[in-house]
Amino acid sequence: MASNDTAVPQWQRGRVASWFVTVDHKRIGILYIATAAFFFAAGGIMALLIRTQLATPDTGFIERDGYNQLFTMHGTTMIFLVVVPILAGFANYLVPLMIGARDMAFPRLNAMTYWLFLFGGMVLLLSFFAQGGAARGGWTSYPPNSVYSEGAGQDLWILALHILTISSLAGAINFVVTIHNMRTRGMSWTRMPLFVWSVEVYAGLLIIVLPALSAGLTLLLLDRQAGTNFFVPSDGGSAVLYQHVFWFFGHPEVYIMILPVFGIISEVLPVFARKPIFGYKAIAFSTVAIGFFSVLVWAHHMFTVGMPDVLNGFFMVSSMLIAVPTGVKIFNWLATLWHGNLHFDTPMLYSLGFLSVFTIGGLSGIFLAAFPIDWQVHDTYYVVAHLHYVLFGGSILGILAGLSYWWPKMFGRMLDERLGKISFWLTFIGFNVTFFPQHMLGLLGMPRRIYSYRDDGLWAGYNLASTIGSYVMGVGLLLFLWNVLKARKGPRAGNDPWLADTLEWYTTSPPPPHNFDKVPYVTSARPLYDLRRKLKDRGAL
Amino acid sequence: MPSAVRRPFASTVFSLLVLPLVLAGTALADNAGLTPVEARSPNAQGINDAYGWVSIFTGAIFLLVQGSLLLFIVRYRRRRRARDEDGAQVHGNTNLELAWTIAPVLILVAIGGFVFWKLPQIQDVPSANAAGGRTDVTVEGYRYYWNFEYPNGVIAVDRLRAPVGGNVRLEISAPDFEVIHSWWIPALGGKFDAIPGVVNESWFRADAPGIYRGQCAEFCGIQHAAMLAEVEALPREEFDAWLEEEDRAQRAGTSDLGAETYAGACAKCHGLAGEGDIGPALANNNLVQDAQAVETVVRNGGPKLMPPVGADWEQRQMDALTAYLKEGFGGE
Repeated sequence: MASNDTAVPQWQRGRVASWFVTVDHKRIGILYIATAAFFFAAGGIMALLIRTQLATPDTGFIERDGYNQLFTMHGTTMIFLVVVPILAGFANYLVPLMIGARDMAFPRLNAMTYWLFLFGGMVLLLSFFAQGGAARGGWTSYPPNSVYSEGAGQDLWILALHILTISSLAGAINFVVTIHNMRTRGMSWTRMPLFVWSVEVYAGLLIIVLPALSAGLTLLLLDRQAGTNFFVPSDGGSAVLYQHVFWFFGHPEVYIMILPVFGIISEVLPVFARKPIFGYKAIAFSTVAIGFFSVLVWAHHMFTVGMPDVLNGFFMVSSMLIAVPTGVKIFNWLATLWHGNLHFDTPMLYSLGFLSVFTIGGLSGIFLAAFPIDWQVHDTYYVVAHLHYVLFGGSILGILAGLSYWWPKMFGRMLDERLGKISFWLTFIGFNVTFFPQHMLGLLGMPRRIYSYRDDGLWAGYNLASTIGSYVMGVGLLLFLWNVLKARKGPRAGNDPWLADTLEWYTTSPPPPHNFDKVPYVTSARPLYDLRRKLKDRGAL
Repeated sequence: MPSAVRRPFASTVFSLLVLPLVLAGTALADNAGLTPVEARSPNAQGINDAYGWVSIFTGAIFLLVQGSLLLFIVRYRRRRRARDEDGAQVHGNTNLELAWTIAPVLILVAIGGFVFWKLPQIQDVPSANAAGGRTDVTVEGYRYYWNFEYPNGVIAVDRLRAPVGGNVRLEISAPDFEVIHSWWIPALGGKFDAIPGVVNESWFRADAPGIYRGQCAEFCGIQHAAMLAEVEALPREEFDAWLEEEDRAQRAGTSDLGAETYAGACAKCHGLAGEGDIGPALANNNLVQDAQAVETVVRNGGPKLMPPVGADWEQRQMDALTAYLKEGFGGE
């Protein structure tokens, strides 16, 4: 432990203090994940409040302004404080271990990104208590509505996002430098774990698009506070301009939130199928292709603003083209199962659940990309269903797969399999009951972001089903929490409980501060598989 | 061991097949939300056709992926095999991977081609002398109501009347002091945003009399959920008669425009009976007796939350409202 290092002053060695001053990528990764989990609970409670209000028609539980603050903060929290940073946490923890490095390239910068994330998140959450309450313009905060919004909430929202943007940008640069420079001997680009590939593209996208968000937010702040009119039409500004700037960031952001999850799935499936990943290069290159196309599709969020046919057509085609590399991944994952020796441990269940529901989210995306169909379903619950199939069914299920998979490595203890499976099924079934009926609600004409609706028979039925599903999902997630708390006393994991393939399983669980005493020379994308086979051939295993 | 392995299988079957079937069964009772609402206008029909066409391909891919997922889960489960027993060490197959790269491209070409083929039916506004005639209406989004104006100057709020079988061309916009709204009547076609400083064009031709409901689809503020809209399709003669009569009444100041404007523009915050809600009560409020004071507030916005709900109204709408207020909330 760090206490062996005589350079560390006494006061920094305490059980708590050592976490405050740490620059160890593993500790920072755990801090990221734990903090994001806390924000996930906060955003989840907001979601349950929203679903409770919508359970029946004309409910008076949380109305109008309170409701508008809730859905704004729910979306902003889940995107900026949960999915993106928890993936940064995974990347922090795993990338140096997977590439056989001692730490990230810039450990102090790394620590700074975490503390900025924490403070940015607190600015956002505490804005509920600001004068006038929290922001209430939706996570997209379209002007002119967001410019006219009273109170300090909208300004704090902008401030929080600015802080988080700096954090993400610095973190992304750190990932790129680390991946490019610190791979161990023998680890060429085509021997790199697919999760590391996905982090490379995740970080690259962040570097490309975050400045656009910062620029847009700054102009929005100036419009609110300095009397400028970039987005205010009454004085010659353009409301649509903001949408272009925002979605130039916002759509790649969707892929930022899913690509590392693709990486997680690409790590988990082969281990529990006892097979190599099917088509390593196709999966790696499709990650790059998705990253490339993702910066060309932003205006598919804007089909209803009245763009010329040629732009509508361009953004339809580019959006649909993303389905091709995404389809390649799904088919390659399926083929990875083919003739495998499938073990249904909890990480595998989450991954298979991911495959099933992410496909649904991808397919509903085809409808949305066809712009005349989008004219019908845009800004309805159909979109809400689609984005949750991608972001919950995709990102969150994948993150839960990753947590169950790497928990033994991070803490040296196994999770309870039985509890894990019950938690999975409750979450998976609850998820589908919550979000599948929302497709129907959207097609029936229910717009998103309304706090109340008329009793139209079917609307009431589907909404009630959705609310019941959300409670079931909540119970499932609480069980997951109980499971990880209980794991403090779980059975010890050993170095490599799953007989996995990548370097992080070569060291102890949890790994020492310096990660590895020595790293084996890497001769393929599966160094530990190679090692096990060598030992087996020699009769040592 | 087998029972432990079967349990996830059984549950997977349950959730992947039974659950959607149950949902689908209840929903299919009257096509409730599995496809867009029944189209009552050619443009909406075009969108529904495109939806149906895309469903064929997405449905097939859905069955293919979920089917093979289930099949592989059952067929290749571990049974009695040890954890370290290898599956088939297959690293890939170039031909297969090419196939599932090219096939989706072809499917997307089919989808994109169909969409562009359908686009004129959906998007192109019939010319002014097309069969059925054409009525041009401006649609303006305000917080939190819709203001319509017909070619003869007749103004309407929240309810747009249209002739059955007649083409209606919509010029959708919002005044430059407004926020963004979105005009959407599902049975009569897709939505278009009402953006300050931008004019979007859309159209419909209702094929049967009736009331078609919709509501604002772009979040616009505190009463977004109350920003409902409807189109009432009337038989041609009835519509023509109404438009002519309404024109006469609005010029004479005897129409219901004041009540309509109150219900649309005022009541959502001040209550239908002026009892007050987000905004202060108007019943027994001396201000509403003073036409000049009402006009000042309506044109400039109130001291607190109230937006300038009628900053650019024509005088006839303003007069109708002040007259209605004076009469409706008269001093008792």
